[in-house]
Amino acid sequence: MTSASILHLDRVSLAAQLPYAQDLTEITLELCAGELGLVLVPPHSDGFPLADLAEGLVTPDSGSIKFEDMDWEDMLPDQAAAARGRIGRVFEKRGWISNLDMDENITLAERHHTTRPLAEIEVEALTLAKRFGFDDLPRVRPALLRGGDLRRAAWIRALLGAPTLILLEHPLREIPSANAAQLLDTVQAARTRGAAALWIAESFQGLENHREHFSRVWKLEGARLAAAKE
Amino acid sequence: MEKWTRAAVRDILSAADIMSFLGTIGGSWVEKGRTWRRIVATVWSVALTACLPRYWPRTTRNVFVRQILFTAVEASKFIALVAFMVGLSVVVQSQYWLTKLGQSHLLGPVLVMVIVRELGPLLVNFIIIGRSGTAMAIELGNMKLSGEVRALDAQGLDPFTYLVLPRVAGAAVSVFCLTIIFIVVSFISGYFCGLLMGANTGHPSLFIKSIFEAVQQADVLNVLIKTLVCGAMTGVICCTEGLSVSTATTEVPQAATRAVVRSTAALFIISAIVSLVTYL
Repeated sequence: MTSASILHLDRVSLAAQLPYAQDLTEITLELCAGELGLVLVPPHSDGFPLADLAEGLVTPDSGSIKFEDMDWEDMLPDQAAAARGRIGRVFEKRGWISNLDMDENITLAERHHTTRPLAEIEVEALTLAKRFGFDDLPRVRPALLRGGDLRRAAWIRALLGAPTLILLEHPLREIPSANAAQLLDTVQAARTRGAAALWIAESFQGLENHREHFSRVWKLEGARLAAAKE
Repeated sequence: MEKWTRAAVRDILSAADIMSFLGTIGGSWVEKGRTWRRIVATVWSVALTACLPRYWPRTTRNVFVRQILFTAVEASKFIALVAFMVGLSVVVQSQYWLTKLGQSHLLGPVLVMVIVRELGPLLVNFIIIGRSGTAMAIELGNMKLSGEVRALDAQGLDPFTYLVLPRVAGAAVSVFCLTIIFIVVSFISGYFCGLLMGANTGHPSLFIKSIFEAVQQADVLNVLIKTLVCGAMTGVICCTEGLSVSTATTEVPQAATRAVVRSTAALFIISAIVSLVTYL
């Protein structure tokens, strides 16, 4: 029995244009439920558009992108917004609303897309926070949190609720390698319930002992993705 | 000589130049027309969207409440102060001069005409444009530049639903509530200041009665349009100008300036049209 396709990029091309700094040519990538894919990108390649493409935030020059078997191009704006609500993401940089406290930022999407009681959402967020080394949910403005803490808070946000797709852009930046296991274990739990995850990193640094977690590995060579492990 | 002049003019102003000049003027007006059409379309979209409960999740309601707190509650003291001053000058003077001219029975209609129909909505809108409209444009401009709008979009929070709708609705409701406060405070302060200054104010019940008798259905409609529509226009203009910022921080103050100018223009145009349509 084959698992359901969660994300499918079919021969997607995108010319480098602000805010992206990377051309993509004929990228083909598929992630099914329960899979964790790794995309290795060259060092200092910020502005990599793959996560935005996966979320349908940018229209490719050619090719198609499907999320849960639905092409982003065919979705109505409300449908696309609801679909993005089922995607958890650690952003490459920024990604925080400066006039909201961190706890509000972390729970924002879950409060927006669901009618779950706030107390229940906060309990789940607190459980994740403790798993990732926080004593409590951070309740200050994003500007008052250090880089590593912001990144761990982004983990909580990406995994809160039951996202179908988890996009992790350089999730170990400014984080000690030893913490990788905490994140991978939580991602594994999400995969077990049927989510797919896409990890974008510059190398296996910090992941040396966790290679077995990745079901697929791709490497960006020039503007093309080459499968390094199928 | 005449031949030379004609030739020179022909050289300087060829038909193509004239057409280009006219085209430039026409083009700027066409662009202005497009801008205003976009603003009116956004107001209409907000009005329609605001009626649908599914566009009011708790996060949007939260932003709406914060907007009311910032625009209405925090501004209420200042509005009350301005209303007190207006009461002091306009209401007391009206009482004094109308009594002197033996026309004290016109006090209600005059005050309703000056304060309820024109001054109240106009001054409150002005204050909200200066105080909250600029803040909205600057806040959204900075959010756009720092990638926060994109981050919201990436989490499935439509910027129109989460950022624009509650701010516009909050501005409209705030302007309406503050105008009511303005009218009430200016009448009360005007009456009591008149009493202290020895103007022939009469019994409070007579003063209230003269005002209520002067209020017509058209006045209620007038206040509703001048507050709700102008407040919504201010919200839409300031939000769209803020979100139009794209690349540099220097665009933010420019967007705020454009927001103030366009909101003020919209306020005067709507006020004039409503006054003409309602009372002529």
